[in-house]
Amino acid sequence: MSRNQRTIVFVFILGLSFSLLLMGVQSLTAERIRLNQEFDVQSAILDAFDESYTTANFNDVFEEVMETIETDDVVIYVHEASGGFAFEFSGLGVWGPISGIIAFESDFETIRYVRVLEQEETPGLGGVVAEDDYLAKYQGATMNGGLTISQTADPEASNEVDAIIGATRTSNAFEGMLNRAYEEHKAAWDAYDGGATT
Amino acid sequence: MKKLIRMRYTKWFNVSRDGLSRNNPIVIGVLGICSALAITNRVDNALAMGAAVTFVIMGSSLIVSLIRSFIPTRVRMITYMVIIAGLVIIVQFFLQAYFPQLYRSLGAYVGLIITNCIVMGRAEAFAVKNPVKYTFFDSLANGIGYTYILVLIAAVREVLAFGTLLNYQVLPDSFPTWQVMAIAPGGFFVLGILIWIIRDLTKNYDEEATA
Repeated sequence: MSRNQRTIVFVFILGLSFSLLLMGVQSLTAERIRLNQEFDVQSAILDAFDESYTTANFNDVFEEVMETIETDDVVIYVHEASGGFAFEFSGLGVWGPISGIIAFESDFETIRYVRVLEQEETPGLGGVVAEDDYLAKYQGATMNGGLTISQTADPEASNEVDAIIGATRTSNAFEGMLNRAYEEHKAAWDAYDGGATT
Repeated sequence: MKKLIRMRYTKWFNVSRDGLSRNNPIVIGVLGICSALAITNRVDNALAMGAAVTFVIMGSSLIVSLIRSFIPTRVRMITYMVIIAGLVIIVQFFLQAYFPQLYRSLGAYVGLIITNCIVMGRAEAFAVKNPVKYTFFDSLANGIGYTYILVLIAAVREVLAFGTLLNYQVLPDSFPTWQVMAIAPGGFFVLGILIWIIRDLTKNYDEEATA
């Protein structure tokens, strides 16, 4: 075998064995990773509606207090006690995907709670988007006329929220994905709700 | 006693001492600084990062050492990269599945182990030229050498920034916490002072500085 052939065979075997190894590890951990993600989403929604739970019973609590409605390819969770709504949102940030959950009061307009579960923004700048201190600013804001996230947010206007200083693009992306997710879910809910009552 | 003195001349002893102190990757080699600054704000993060990096150094060095006679010289860098990247992805899966909290607080730095110079450095400088038994000591010593420096830095930073150690309150609430220690510049200060102290104690100066 010539040197070139040997190199090609070596690279092939190396690539193949590592691909197989990674596929094996992935299939071993996939189920647990899925469960962890489910816990992240469900515990965030339970926190939004001030429900208490433990890591062992979160799934039962969630099924008890939340009603899951699947309509028009979207999933909306309804809090049975308060009539509040929650759903997942996701979109592209500056460096990678951002995803999280947002919860509304029973008017489906006033924000009750936002939590970012996944983001890869610049640490210290765009990364602020996942901090609870920052997301607390969204509490009580309304989606009426679309949410505006800007550096010059008017504290009087209920649909304006402060942007993150030094992270204009993250803020813009976040604004876009929240509005998009809201419109989509609100339209689906209106269609579902209207259909259900008539 | 004689046995102890003779140990100083064994290869495994010298190899281990190199990694732990004489050629410590962080304080003497000044490698792997990026993660040493980023994740040393808490001791538990430092321990997790240290364990992950030690696993990747040992895994990659041992594999490289094991197959060193088959690796074609021209593609050896790519070979290291495939092995290192594969191991780092395994670490990512593992953390995501069993320690999601840690995975979140380490964030991007788990994936960035791939670019940690210590890992590639040990593969190229040691593992590819030495048998598995010495590579074992070399990679273990370098991994622990990296970990304990990280933990030292993190211990100083966590106490000053949060008043806690491994999340236990060690300073009274009245202690004014140093915000700067929680962010990267704090890491720079602590690491710089640490390198200064250790180099002064071990009399390890740069050639030009002593001339």
